[in-house]
Amino acid sequence: MPKCLVEVGGRRIIDYQLELLHSIESVRIVVGFMEEQVIEHVRRIRSDVVFVRNPEFRTTSNTHSLFLATRDLREAYFSIDGDLLIDPASFRAFLDACDGSRTVVGITASKTEEAVFVNLTPDGRSVARFARSPRTTHEWCGIACMSRVKMPERQSTFVYQVLEQDLPLAAQDILCYEVDTPDDLEFARKHFRPC
Amino acid sequence: MTTAYCFDLDGTVTREEILPVLSRRVGLYEEISALTEATLKGLIPFRKSFLLRCRLLRDLPISEVQATIANIPLHQNIVDFIRARRDVCYIVTGNLDVWVRPLQELLGCRFHWSSASVVDDRLQSVDHVLHKGDAVKSLRRDFDRIVAVGDGMGDVPMFEEADVRIAFGGTHTPIQSLIEYTDYVTFDDKALCTLLSTQ
Repeated sequence: MPKCLVEVGGRRIIDYQLELLHSIESVRIVVGFMEEQVIEHVRRIRSDVVFVRNPEFRTTSNTHSLFLATRDLREAYFSIDGDLLIDPASFRAFLDACDGSRTVVGITASKTEEAVFVNLTPDGRSVARFARSPRTTHEWCGIACMSRVKMPERQSTFVYQVLEQDLPLAAQDILCYEVDTPDDLEFARKHFRPC
Repeated sequence: MTTAYCFDLDGTVTREEILPVLSRRVGLYEEISALTEATLKGLIPFRKSFLLRCRLLRDLPISEVQATIANIPLHQNIVDFIRARRDVCYIVTGNLDVWVRPLQELLGCRFHWSSASVVDDRLQSVDHVLHKGDAVKSLRRDFDRIVAVGDGMGDVPMFEEADVRIAFGGTHTPIQSLIEYTDYVTFDDKALCTLLSTQ
């Protein structure tokens, strides 16, 4: 099953995300693995989503998916990984911190098994460095407001590696839970509060 | 870079398939709807199915067909998009010139269509059935990039020649084998036009 369709608290992960995005006029969802099921599920909740197909999802990284979704855009955009459970209040604070003029990187207290840790600048407001180790207080959470960030096509890099080129970048703390492994899912089921 | 936008007509610009609407007038709604659905799913080749449907509808006066088609409901956001860009928008339809002409007058863009002869307000013969891929190819002379929007397997030849392919499910749900030819899928005409405006 695609991670966005995993059930937590009686609803799919993507249901919670779509609820957070109800005031965002234009929503695009990149689909790959089991696209038919994802499209069928999402359109029942929100009919005006544009689905962007990534048929090469098995051999490409998330930068290629984001490239496909944004290659025609000139304005700033929000990017959200499909496997995130996000606290609504902190997501609203994130949206408030973004005016489209600068890139803002979402960070969260370190808790996932395969984290990309962030080093913050001394004032704590910006990301100075991403690294797989050593462990730090915060990790890259897979949410960003991208301003003038062009994703490369068919690269094996990850989104944080593209952002690395523009560091330091403004950081905004978000309470969220990534569901990457069974342990992450168990942790999220225990701690995630949708409202 | 110059971009052309090619739209299928039935079920894409129109909110209903045209031939089943016409078939109510000759009491063949069930039969023609079944043929149309099978064609959309790619179970019957478009050319054979279309010629058969034309034969079933040939006794309808052309003036009556045109009056019906002039009142068929349309996706208004798509109509507005086309009317604002008449020089770069094209309707690519297998439907007959003598039937869908009222929609050409309404939309004001150029049509690539099948053609027929008329005698005494009746369909005499279908002279040419459009191959949608050939229609798109012919635009290559004037455009660097071609965006195609469609909803059925009859649109696959158009998608095969286009640079950007969009499955639009505003009337029918596009089947998965059609979706596999596309870059984008959407079910809402406003979202479709927002997407088109960035292409």
